[in-house]
Amino acid sequence: MSARYAELQCASHFSFLRGASSADELFSQAAVLGIEALAITDRNSLAGIVRAHEEAKATGVRLIVGARLVLTDGTELLVYPTDRPAYARLCRLLSLGKGRAGKAKCELHWDDVAAWNEGLIAVLVPDEADDLTARRLRRLADLFGDRAYCALTLRRRPRDHLRLHGLSNLASAARVPTVATNDVLFHHPYRRVLQDVVTCIREGVTIDDAGFVRNRHADRYLKPPEEMARLFRLWPEAVARSVEVAERCRFSLDELAYQYPHEVVEHGLSAQATLEKRTWEGAAERYPEGLPDEVAATLRHELTLIASLDYAPYFLTVDAIVRQARKLGILCQGRGSAANSAVCFVLGVTSIDPGRNDLLFERFVSQERKEPPDIDVDFEHERREEVIQWVYETYGRHRAALCSTVIRYRAKGALRDVGKALGLPEDMIGLLSKQLGHWATEGAGEKLASELNLNMADRRLRLTLELARELIGAPRHLSQHPGGFVLTEDRLDELVPIEPAAMEDRQVIEWDKDDIDALKFMKVDVLALGMLSCMRRGFDLLREHKGVDLDLATIPAEDPRTYAMIRKADTLGVFQIESRAQMAMLPRMKPRTFYDLVIEVAIVRPGPIQGDMVHPYLRRREGREPVDYPTPELERVLGKTLGVPLFQEQAMRVAIECAGFTPGEADQLRRAMATFKHTGGVSAFGGKLIQGMVARGYTEEFATRTFNQLEGFGSYGFPESHAASFALIAYASSWLKCWHPDVFCAALLNAQPMGFYAPAQIVRDAREHGVEVRPVCINASRWDCTLESTDRPGAFAVRLGLRMVTGLANSDGAALVAGRDRPYADIDDVWRRSGAEVSALVRLAEADGFRAAFGLARREALWAIQALRDEPLPLFAAAAGDDGRPPPEINEEAVALKAMTAGREVVEDYQHVGLSLRRHPVAFLRDELAGEAIVTCAQAQGTRDGRLTKIAGLVLVRQKPGSAKGVMFITIEDETGVANLVVWPDIYEKHRRVILGSSMIAVQGCVQREGDVVHLVAAKLFDLSDRLGRIGEKDDAFPLPHGRGDEFHHGSSGSDAREGRGLRIKPRDFR
Amino acid sequence: MGASAPPPDAPLVLVGRDGRKRMVLAADAAAQGFGLHPGMAVAKAQALVAELTVMDADREADDRALDRLALWALRRYAPIVAPDPPDGLMIDIAGASHLKGGEAALLDDLTGRLASAGIHARAVVAPSYGAAHALARFGGGARLVAEDEIADRLSPLPVAALRLTPVTVEGLRRLGFDRIDELAAAPRAPLTLRFGPELGRRLDQAYGRVEEPFELMTAAELVRVVRDFAEPIGAPETLARYTGKLVVQLCEALEEKRLGARKLDLLFHRVDNRVEAVRIGTAKPVRDVRRLTRLLCDKIETVAPGFGIERMTLTAAVAEPLHYRAGASSLVEAAPADVSELIDTLANRIGANRLYRLAPRESDVPERCLSRLAPLAPADGRTWPVDWPRPSRLLDPPELVEAMALLPDHPPAAFTWRGERRRVMRADGPERIFGEWWTRDAELEAVRDYFQVEDEAGERFWLYRAGDGEDPHTGSHRWFLHGLFG
Repeated sequence: MSARYAELQCASHFSFLRGASSADELFSQAAVLGIEALAITDRNSLAGIVRAHEEAKATGVRLIVGARLVLTDGTELLVYPTDRPAYARLCRLLSLGKGRAGKAKCELHWDDVAAWNEGLIAVLVPDEADDLTARRLRRLADLFGDRAYCALTLRRRPRDHLRLHGLSNLASAARVPTVATNDVLFHHPYRRVLQDVVTCIREGVTIDDAGFVRNRHADRYLKPPEEMARLFRLWPEAVARSVEVAERCRFSLDELAYQYPHEVVEHGLSAQATLEKRTWEGAAERYPEGLPDEVAATLRHELTLIASLDYAPYFLTVDAIVRQARKLGILCQGRGSAANSAVCFVLGVTSIDPGRNDLLFERFVSQERKEPPDIDVDFEHERREEVIQWVYETYGRHRAALCSTVIRYRAKGALRDVGKALGLPEDMIGLLSKQLGHWATEGAGEKLASELNLNMADRRLRLTLELARELIGAPRHLSQHPGGFVLTEDRLDELVPIEPAAMEDRQVIEWDKDDIDALKFMKVDVLALGMLSCMRRGFDLLREHKGVDLDLATIPAEDPRTYAMIRKADTLGVFQIESRAQMAMLPRMKPRTFYDLVIEVAIVRPGPIQGDMVHPYLRRREGREPVDYPTPELERVLGKTLGVPLFQEQAMRVAIECAGFTPGEADQLRRAMATFKHTGGVSAFGGKLIQGMVARGYTEEFATRTFNQLEGFGSYGFPESHAASFALIAYASSWLKCWHPDVFCAALLNAQPMGFYAPAQIVRDAREHGVEVRPVCINASRWDCTLESTDRPGAFAVRLGLRMVTGLANSDGAALVAGRDRPYADIDDVWRRSGAEVSALVRLAEADGFRAAFGLARREALWAIQALRDEPLPLFAAAAGDDGRPPPEINEEAVALKAMTAGREVVEDYQHVGLSLRRHPVAFLRDELAGEAIVTCAQAQGTRDGRLTKIAGLVLVRQKPGSAKGVMFITIEDETGVANLVVWPDIYEKHRRVILGSSMIAVQGCVQREGDVVHLVAAKLFDLSDRLGRIGEKDDAFPLPHGRGDEFHHGSSGSDAREGRGLRIKPRDFR
Repeated sequence: MGASAPPPDAPLVLVGRDGRKRMVLAADAAAQGFGLHPGMAVAKAQALVAELTVMDADREADDRALDRLALWALRRYAPIVAPDPPDGLMIDIAGASHLKGGEAALLDDLTGRLASAGIHARAVVAPSYGAAHALARFGGGARLVAEDEIADRLSPLPVAALRLTPVTVEGLRRLGFDRIDELAAAPRAPLTLRFGPELGRRLDQAYGRVEEPFELMTAAELVRVVRDFAEPIGAPETLARYTGKLVVQLCEALEEKRLGARKLDLLFHRVDNRVEAVRIGTAKPVRDVRRLTRLLCDKIETVAPGFGIERMTLTAAVAEPLHYRAGASSLVEAAPADVSELIDTLANRIGANRLYRLAPRESDVPERCLSRLAPLAPADGRTWPVDWPRPSRLLDPPELVEAMALLPDHPPAAFTWRGERRRVMRADGPERIFGEWWTRDAELEAVRDYFQVEDEAGERFWLYRAGDGEDPHTGSHRWFLHGLFG
């Protein structure tokens, strides 16, 4: 009979920066070597156990669930639960240690082990055969009895056999049987080098200085049973016992059964009955004038489906959270596969009226997959925390926790850490990693290095690139998922270890959302969305000032004027369709109905763009290309999108209908597409898909094209349900902007920071739409931007709030407003009555907040404030005169301050409010620019296609989308409007300095017209930042002092003379 | 930086840390030409100029260099000189300019000499240092400013010229005070209320209304003794005798200043106007006549007296404070012997770089587990693991032996070293040692399996097999003797 061996001591790379191999690698190697069972014993953690479980199922090597406990006295124990209750105790034990020690640490004592050891098998990992080990063995034997073992591990160090001999003597003296282990850190000998590197990363040393920090015990890879038998020929019983221990540990993750929390179910009713009751109640509310028949039919159909799949508790849980949010007045909106059901609509989870849209529920809930449905709920970003804390309170911290997110090495981080460990100079690492885009996942190549003129003959550099590539994908640590909640009926910490999160009052489980999916646990995503905050503020303002009471569901649907505005791409500030690319698409898509918006949202995504679906779709939409379907099945799947797959579900349907995939396989295909970039796993499906399609009578060419299209989706494709939910918010925000631009402007400013554009552009856009915007004023502004009535009935002016003042703390702003029971009379009065810090008054003076109220210009206000002391003197306060006001503390001679130039005022506005209601900065340079044949953006907009022209403006947005093959899009602005530049890669390379370094540029290029959309294709770019900086001093007689190096005299202030004094426009960069 | 300095036309920036951010502190002309300027983030500068040379700024070294420059000016131009960090020198030339032929000539001489040393300097003579400081930095082309010109010259300068803190300058500019005359014209009391008395003081200093105290630069004098001879001397014994006398004198002079010598220069001025020199160094400051004499006399044989020596000078080129302490009067243990004298003697004979101490180094590769330390360097606390036996003698290089062993990991049954065949009676191993892959390609996969073996005679050897016994990539599988146990 051949040798048998089960590996009981093996760290995966979830022993962060200790283990060097993934579960996939370990289990595949174990299968190859003929190891029958493999225990994953990560350090104080079960984080990698679900992956291991999946791999075990795939490879047929049995997984033994385990962990390596490192106790505070240095004892190391391997523990394995024998059954489900023992597993629960292990989870409790780990949660206890993690809760005690804080994030990413674990503090456990022998006492804890004593309390929670029932049902666990323990293996002591001894060091030397000495008294300490003997003591620990006795202690272990006392606690665990016949469940205690002692590990025998070869170290390949001097006196190895002597040590093992001593250990086995000690063990038998303590009546603890021995078991052979291998203390595996990586699956294959070649991984040793990477293991050294991760050790260096962990310890923060370079490999040259690592010395004995490196792991000094050799041969930490998986070995076949025969080899183990040979190595341990003196202790055959220890090898045999590994199998025996493995046999005793029969616990499998499959035994974890998930239960929904019971709170959601009404007393005396089943979950399904509760859901049905709530559904019909909700339906009556949603349709006060009577439930349409077809909606009633849809509801009945969906309820049947939910009943058959037993999903009622899930819907009820989501419903409970949404109800609470509504009770708190927090706006929310559901999305995700199950969200666009009629049930969700009548429950108020979503606002997409099923009567007007035919999003098929079955499409989102697959009967075969038996997976819980997926509903994500977006909440206002400012108030999501309230919802999260409510969930914790309602379900208890032992039953609710957030999922974690595994932070994995990506190209940049890998390069940086490996480079540091190998002692590359920091600047070289910086150079290398800088040149990698965020999106690059393939790792830095030699091509890159040679482009940077780096010497590939440099051994360290080559090693760095190789090792960094190997490290990509390895987990680095656990972080908190943005909002994925796991709720259970029983204690959650008996299902999975819980640890406190970096953020206060949060706790996370050790598993991420893929793990949760794999175990078929329920998860609700509680996410934050800035636009919802904006919409809620908008609805509040509407109600308060205009007496209009609306919410997302009751906004007038299919409003033609709103669609007309959208078609003009007049969408600055609205949700989703405000980006450059979206705006360019709108005039071509010409949306007229809600579903057009759904497509619009989905089509301008990297997936469809890379899959080259945009142009075919547009051609077909414009009627320039016939819409044909090779087969009727395809027409059923793709009919709504004119034969072009745009949504993730369509990709799956194509695979099912046209290539004979089972729904389960189609789902695997979707997952493979999501991770396609790293693994290349999608190609296996490629062959199957193409063969399947050919077998069903499609041409090979058509099949290949379809596959390429699907492949392009990657993780970037939108499911239709998401697109629909986003489209609704996009529509709602457009409607608000269209009909109530004043309300929209105020709400949007109050929800900042969010979206693509800075307040300056939002205000400018509002003013172009006829909204009056009033400056910050000490006697009129509140913290938020507010609406003030104007002479014109129905039209309101936006008063900028104190929140716009740079550097003003909310508490100071509140004090200023709170102290204003009657208007302030002068600065002294403000200082005494508000109790705000003097520094707060300075901020307000810089923002020009005293001009309207007291007639004080910036400098005059600052002059007055600088004479104030920290605290008013009580004697003066006591000597208040007849008007109730104390006499001024100081009488001094008047000082005539120089008035600011107009340009300076604008510069100061930008610096301290972020925008100016005076002239546009570029207007000051117009004469100068006109002299250089530079036209305005508005003029360029009217120029014929193909004409050469030259414009200049402030750089607003620079964008280099990953899908655009290195093309950079820049938006610039002058006093007449914005212009959009397209910079091709060769021009970009030539003018990189100008593009990246300037706040104002001039561009020479060719006008390109696409319908109403005008681009300027850049040929040459010039840096005009200096001129912009001069605006502040434009009319001054005195020239700027030369030599900035001189002026930057003291080095510590951190600001350069130019940036400090000149105009600071911070362009927003998106990649 | 000498030869390692980058070429002058290459864009160069010096960077330093400001909190967590690395930023540019200085940029040369080429870098400024690319639009880089102090205050920029380093990452941004690198993004803008791909071929940028980035070096760390060393402000202390800058200050030291400025001090040296001040010393130079002190020796050359005037008795009152003070460094004005980070970038200026204050020289009070009152009563000293006539030596250089007047103020203008002095300025020419000063800037000319600095220019030839590669330093671009702007110099201004003004009646007050405040005015000179401002005009040199902001004054355009001004060079000589008379008493009655001060007001006119200062008026148009920016307030930053007044040596105020950046906060004050920024505060003034915010209020619209850009130029010095605007500030001078404003009433003083409200300004003082807002900006403190410093502002008024600096204004008055610039206009020469108040005196300005300086921290003066003084040159530290070297301790030196001289002996002239009426008749030239030449015999080595004579040289040695007078050397001894000079050392006695020098040590007295050193004692007065409580210094000890670290470096001594003994110069022999020959009658033919050539100079022979002897230099010695010591590991610690020393003022011991006997010891210094011996160190110097050891080297006298290297001096060629030629036709005779008429003058000897002995200078303590480097001297450090030396305080004698009372020795610990422990009755139990003797204090550890002071070996610094021995080290000095050896170092002066064979050269300091050939004198070292061995110390443990953390490496598994036996031939790399030692490092060399300076003789008196403190121990770094590293040790070898005690429980891993290592032979008392290592062979360098390891010697090839003939051996028979079972693969993959058995010790040899017998081996032949230097023609003598030994049977292995006992063995321990293998101890598997990997090559240090980060040092060179050949060690990426290299493995050695070490065995400690004992032959029939009880002699113990340290043998290794190159390779792990399985994979031929890891080594040749030949056997080597690497060490002998005592």
